[in-house]
Amino acid sequence: MNLSNMFKKTKDNYIPLKSGDVRTKEKQEDGQGPNVPEGLARKCNKCGRAILTDDVVNGHYICPKCGGYFRMPAGVRIRMIVDEGTFEEWDTGMNTRNPLQYKGYEEKIEALREKTGLDEAVVTGRGKIDGHGAVIAVMDGRFLMASMGEVVGEKITRAVERATVEKLPIIIFTCSGGARMQEGITSLMQMAKTSAALKRHSDAGLLYITVLTDPTTGGVTASFAMLGDIILAEPKALVGFAGPRVIEQTIGQKLPKGFQRSEFLLEHGFVDAIVERREMKETLSLCLSLHEQGQAKGQQASGSGSDADRKTKAVGLISDVMSAWDRVMLSRKKDRPVGEDYIKALFTDFVEFHGDRYFADDAAIIGGVAVFEGTPVTVIAQAKGKNTKENIRRNFGMPSPEGYRKALRLMKQAEKFHRPIICFVDTPGAFCGLEAEERGQGEAIARNLYEMSAIRTPILSMVIGEGGSGGALAMAVADEVWMLENSVYSILSPEGYAAILWKDSSRAREAAQIMKMTAADLKELGVIEHVFEEPEHFTEETFPEVAEKICGRLRAFLDRYGSFSPEELAQSRYDRFRRM
Amino acid sequence: MERTIHKVLIANRGEIAVRIIRACREMGIETVAVYSEADREALHTQLADEAICIGPAEAAESYLDMERIISATVVSGADAIHPGFGFLSENARFAELCEQCNIIFIGPSSRVIRKMGNKAEARATMIRAGVPVIPGSKELIREEAEGRELADRIGYPVIIKAALGGGGKGMRVAAGPEEFEKAFFTAKKEAKMAFGDDSVYLEHFVENPRHIEFQILADSYGNVIHLGERDCSIQRNHQKMIEESPSVALSEELRARMGEAAVRAAKAAQYESAGTIEFLLEKNGNFYFMEMNTRIQVEHPVTEWVTGIDLIKAQIRIASGEALSLKQEDVVIKGHAIECRINAENPEKNFMPSPGTVTDMYLPGGKGVRVDSAIYSGYTIPPYYDSMIAKLIVYAGNRKEAIMKMRSALGEVIIEGIHTNVDYLYEIVNHPDYIDGNIDISFIENL
Repeated sequence: MNLSNMFKKTKDNYIPLKSGDVRTKEKQEDGQGPNVPEGLARKCNKCGRAILTDDVVNGHYICPKCGGYFRMPAGVRIRMIVDEGTFEEWDTGMNTRNPLQYKGYEEKIEALREKTGLDEAVVTGRGKIDGHGAVIAVMDGRFLMASMGEVVGEKITRAVERATVEKLPIIIFTCSGGARMQEGITSLMQMAKTSAALKRHSDAGLLYITVLTDPTTGGVTASFAMLGDIILAEPKALVGFAGPRVIEQTIGQKLPKGFQRSEFLLEHGFVDAIVERREMKETLSLCLSLHEQGQAKGQQASGSGSDADRKTKAVGLISDVMSAWDRVMLSRKKDRPVGEDYIKALFTDFVEFHGDRYFADDAAIIGGVAVFEGTPVTVIAQAKGKNTKENIRRNFGMPSPEGYRKALRLMKQAEKFHRPIICFVDTPGAFCGLEAEERGQGEAIARNLYEMSAIRTPILSMVIGEGGSGGALAMAVADEVWMLENSVYSILSPEGYAAILWKDSSRAREAAQIMKMTAADLKELGVIEHVFEEPEHFTEETFPEVAEKICGRLRAFLDRYGSFSPEELAQSRYDRFRRM
Repeated sequence: MERTIHKVLIANRGEIAVRIIRACREMGIETVAVYSEADREALHTQLADEAICIGPAEAAESYLDMERIISATVVSGADAIHPGFGFLSENARFAELCEQCNIIFIGPSSRVIRKMGNKAEARATMIRAGVPVIPGSKELIREEAEGRELADRIGYPVIIKAALGGGGKGMRVAAGPEEFEKAFFTAKKEAKMAFGDDSVYLEHFVENPRHIEFQILADSYGNVIHLGERDCSIQRNHQKMIEESPSVALSEELRARMGEAAVRAAKAAQYESAGTIEFLLEKNGNFYFMEMNTRIQVEHPVTEWVTGIDLIKAQIRIASGEALSLKQEDVVIKGHAIECRINAENPEKNFMPSPGTVTDMYLPGGKGVRVDSAIYSGYTIPPYYDSMIAKLIVYAGNRKEAIMKMRSALGEVIIEGIHTNVDYLYEIVNHPDYIDGNIDISFIENL
């Protein structure tokens, strides 16, 4: 039954409740009727829905309806990040000059000061984040779109310089339209000034974290925003050098959706991680704690670790029963633990950092900082997936040039912060493809060999599955190389070897036999230092027993190489390869 | 302050929206329905003078979207919002928004909703007002001796509960002092195992009580009366199924005492509008405040029938600033009323909701039979909302006659195309214990 217009709506026949009632719209005008007071609600500029101002202000400036991020006043940001009562603001009341004698500039600044309560577009100072001291600079878009004029540049530079003197890390929340046009060339010079200060800060071995917020563009992107040791970004923030409108006008094309957003930058290798506002403080606090100086240097090795199991190794015995080819097959087995499993089992507080800062983030390599028994370490793993879908994403563990460049970037950072580096090798080989060649696969591998040979911090590499050729070696120029019993490490896959030497890849089994690619063979050749025995079925389930042995040995390794001076380390690594 | 209400926006759906539209129409007040995209064909949408679509089917995007409902109110020029029950009816923030936007919220103030919505604060308010609450303490009990002493003070049986508890784990009852030690340590052990924390607290255990609630009316001048009780002990998973008024468990004397406590509770809360004070009634006649519902209730028709008072109209009058015209002595409870909630659900399949199209229907009528419903032949019940589709209420001179009438009426109900709980209800009203009035909140559990 359709009820549309079936019912009598006796609107016009209503008997007034009380005599003398006049129903008019007047009441609304004289403030008697319903009306939404000014400021109670606003419209989300992302989803267009009405939202209550209170909900936004109390909810991290996030739209409760669509989850979109609004720009945040600097003061609110500081309250959100810094421990209550610990923030000490620096360099207030600096005078904004008018170098171009730009008409109306002073008045505009004055009006903005009045309106925002800020004295310029950046607030700087020192505070604590979960107890970790840091210098913090927060830009505020309400002030001339936080464009960088002399005062902004000066305040940031002073903050960086003071952080250098006080040996503190610095965190800058960027938000800016870029250089401040009204100040002309003076503004441009701020880019060089801030960058120079950051170079000194970095040379002093100190940590700089950038948090990119919406929008970060122009001269700020092209200076301090992109110089962080760690670059974090809020979701969907616009980050770029030229603004999208300028690009569209220049090239006469519409830009794709998501262009220059945080996610785009992550994909293109310029951002370490995208962090939700709600998790920002926790993430920053973790990053700071991972970089804290003078942290406990790992517990003492228990002694029973290294030497004991070196003697009890029974590797040679099993190798007689199992052919090299069998081991090749085992090393490629699908349920074998992969890099991620090792990271999970051996370390705590792992924070993944992405991107090579040039071109892309390569999912075939996972890298980041983690803690091993109290010691921060840099962890880099070639990553195979656990299923087909993940394997496609991770390119079956075959890194591209950007993967090696990311690895090197993280190693360089480890060197700066005196963190040992632990690499997990598991790759059929470096990716061979058109794009990989275009971007210099050979150069990327060569660069790693070159730089790793002299990195002034301990490097350990563990071959956990396939150690395929140069693609493996680019993460194995280490002080020691360890292997799992059924992992392999070779000049090439046996299939490739057979194809090259005998023009018949089906003779791979035969090739495997003569290539000396098993862990036992390599140990005998002196190419590697240690072999870990594997349980019969080596899977995630049986992994813990192996992990325990690795932990023991890793502890001893860090102890031993941790006592070397940087020069000794580089020399011993040089000698190690010089012997081969 | 008196403020005439000309137009009411009903921020609800289903039978309660229809119920409110009817009351408004009878009072000469214009009505505005709001509806979700799934409710275009719903009775309330069709029946109201105006209807405004406020969003997609999901309640969070429509009936729970405060901003949209406020916008609809302002746009339609309604001067008041009736929230019904469920949805935003007990949302203090929503009531506060109405206050800020100069919209009359037909219900109590946001302050009262907030206060009564906070269990701890409500309890403290009642203790201050001398309304009995379940004896016990949320203070953690560390030592057995300390617990034993408290148990003696609050009276056995006592229940020991895990501080982090839930789902019956870490809960142990001690019927008397001899069982205390074992119960205490078992509860602690269970709590440790289930929640990793063995903190426990202690309260008096109310064994198989009845759910007795008192209807309150309070105006903005501090006048408060009660309209007698409802016995809502027939519940499944804390969902009421059958309610009646009066309760066979209350003597005139107990009714007077509980009613007086309920009025005191409402006064202590500085209540205004229609509201309900829920009590647990022990077999020995002790009663304890459970919570206050700061809205109209599903089962309000049984009270309407035994008192002759239209509660929705009373709410609107109070909201427009009228003083109560009745004094407590004017309230006379006469006869007996029973309500059955008819749900679109399948009792055979663990009461799984059964939305769908009502292909045919016939609902009973006659003297003393009332049906509040929002379904009609051809109506498609959407799957997004509560499964209650109708309320069947009967009234007769005494309980026995009322039960006979309910049996007769339920026997006539025909709803085709979907599953309903009608047969299940029919069985309950034929159950000897129900007929004898021998019921408590575990009735259905023990069937």
